[in-house]
Amino acid sequence: MRISRRSLLQSALVGSAVASAGILSRIAPAIAQSDTVAVGSLHDLSGGTDVYGVPSHMCMKVAIDEINAAGGLLGKKIELKTYDGQSDIKNYPQYAQQAALRDKVVMVQGAIIGAEREAARPVLRRYKVPFFYGTIYEGGLCEANAISVNTGSDQQAIPLLEWSFKNLGKKVFYIGADYIAPRNIGIWTNYLAKQNGGEVVGEDYYPLDVTDFSTAIAKIQAAKPDYVHSCLVGGPHMSFYRQWAAAGMLHKIPIVSVVFGGGNEHMVLTPDETDGIIAAYNYFEELDTPENKAFLDRINAAVGPERPYINGIAIGGYIGPMIWAEAVKKAGSFERDALMAAFADNIEWHGPSGRMVVEGATHSTQQDMHIMQVKDRKWHHLATWEQVRPYGFEGRCDLKANPGNTEILVPVV
Amino acid sequence: MDQLVVLLIAVATSVALLALVSLGLAIIFGMMRVINFAHGEFIMLGGYATVLSANHGVNIWAAIFVVAPATVAAVGLVAERLIVRRFYGQTVMTLLATWGLSLFLIGAVTALFGNTTHGVAAPLGSVALGAYSVSAYQLVLIAVVAVLIVASLVALNRTSWGLVARGTMQNPEMASTLGIDPKRVYAVTFTAGAALAGLAGGLLAPISGVIPHMGASYVARAFVTVISGGTAMVTGMISAAALFGPIEALLSFATTPVIGQAGLLVAAVILLRLMPEGISGRFSGRRT
Repeated sequence: MRISRRSLLQSALVGSAVASAGILSRIAPAIAQSDTVAVGSLHDLSGGTDVYGVPSHMCMKVAIDEINAAGGLLGKKIELKTYDGQSDIKNYPQYAQQAALRDKVVMVQGAIIGAEREAARPVLRRYKVPFFYGTIYEGGLCEANAISVNTGSDQQAIPLLEWSFKNLGKKVFYIGADYIAPRNIGIWTNYLAKQNGGEVVGEDYYPLDVTDFSTAIAKIQAAKPDYVHSCLVGGPHMSFYRQWAAAGMLHKIPIVSVVFGGGNEHMVLTPDETDGIIAAYNYFEELDTPENKAFLDRINAAVGPERPYINGIAIGGYIGPMIWAEAVKKAGSFERDALMAAFADNIEWHGPSGRMVVEGATHSTQQDMHIMQVKDRKWHHLATWEQVRPYGFEGRCDLKANPGNTEILVPVV
Repeated sequence: MDQLVVLLIAVATSVALLALVSLGLAIIFGMMRVINFAHGEFIMLGGYATVLSANHGVNIWAAIFVVAPATVAAVGLVAERLIVRRFYGQTVMTLLATWGLSLFLIGAVTALFGNTTHGVAAPLGSVALGAYSVSAYQLVLIAVVAVLIVASLVALNRTSWGLVARGTMQNPEMASTLGIDPKRVYAVTFTAGAALAGLAGGLLAPISGVIPHMGASYVARAFVTVISGGTAMVTGMISAAALFGPIEALLSFATTPVIGQAGLLVAAVILLRLMPEGISGRFSGRRT
């Protein structure tokens, strides 16, 4: 029998097609029948923003372990796939794709800075993998596939500034890093000054690599504010607090902040450089509730005492998987559309930071906000605003009416 | 009046910081024509040496003035022996080699000490000026930079070591026929430049945080200052710092810090367009 080259090629092609179809059809049910499902942790575990990523990932790991210890979800154990974003934006779409296609995850939690979130978000949307964002951020994320479990800047800034205008004085000097979130918070600062009969006596934005703040300090001294609102971010900007204290200003003009402590600045700098600084977050380790005490005991047992301090950013790593688990239980499925249907009428969960409600209309989370003051590297409670809603959305984000929306809303105030 | 004094101090700080981070580079790049991309990392290592030794009980001043320059001088010497000396005369190759060194140093420090910010508090406290107050350490910093600059000028112009070093850089063959070992002079000069970078890191540690990638904040400004300074590396560099420092500080004060930074770069671009050889290019023949 003569076999032509063409027929040989044809049969080879057909054969491989049949074989691969066979393999595929065997893999697909294998996933459905397997007794684990995978979820992805996509945080910066190295590079410039790993001070935020490492503790967030640690909290996420503890959450998954707790879910598994309680018997898993829908009869399956949860397997955590870890991707190190390396503080490099270009890794985010790549790992998001890998998580969705190769590792077949049913949920991804992660991204630290907004640019990383924006790089991963469209990829996860395309592959229909629900995206949980656990970092504090500028606010205004409005997309069906994405859930913001931590706070938008308005949720922190509104309580903090209302409290400050009432208790510290009417004149504020705003100083921030020069990128989107601090600029949004600048908008809130101006708006709240007007609302509270106050005045912004100065407003300055510093590039992220600036370390010399002597002109900034001279400028603040010249403007004579009642308090300084700081949204300086990252290692180089820590110099501000150091130089402010060295200039003898720490106990003359108070500093309030919605980001101080997020990089554990209060542990890195000395008490001489930080005592008296006031911050607002949904979570501090010092929160005096039985739920929080039990949470810290579990974390200490799981990670050991050498762990990093869990601040208002890191706690998002714990909240995200827990809220996801609530939604999975309610939906009775890991499937994206069923999960999003479960979110449509609010998912409520009680955690170490109190009651949290993910709103169906905005996919953002209302929660308590605590104002605390640092002394000797410990936070001391000053005030609590209960169940703060994501104010900036009022009316403009309605995912029930517009499920196709993928916008980031900018505050219009 | 008080405000004017505070503003003048801010301007002086700005000039001093530019001169401080540029001084080691002025020696290594200005004199030896080695494009040292690891200059920022030498500063970073000086910062780490200071913070770690101070946190282990070494007196803060000893940590700044002894431990930091000595540590970085040692690193500089090793780097010169292992890497840099293979590329003398090949300016572009020195850029690539020291870039590699810079990445290695960032990686090594991150692996050893982690990517978290370290720091020591500024010693001394504050000085009141009417309604204002400034950090006393800031005043010390300005004075120390002035002393460092004078010392560098004296070392290069008034000592036989300075004469030998400058002569070797200009014409190594001639120096070698006169019985001088150019390799040794290169090694000593590179090490001296590294020690100055280390001292800069030590002096900066109390006012800023110390983190593995902090070098990036300084290296560009140092290059802009040294290149704008031109052929007379120390005097040129100081003239550039004295020009750019006030531009940046005053613009930041009057407008915004972003405009201050942009102003510095625009000034450098205009300057190099008008004087391609840098400020000291006009005074040809002077090489310090």
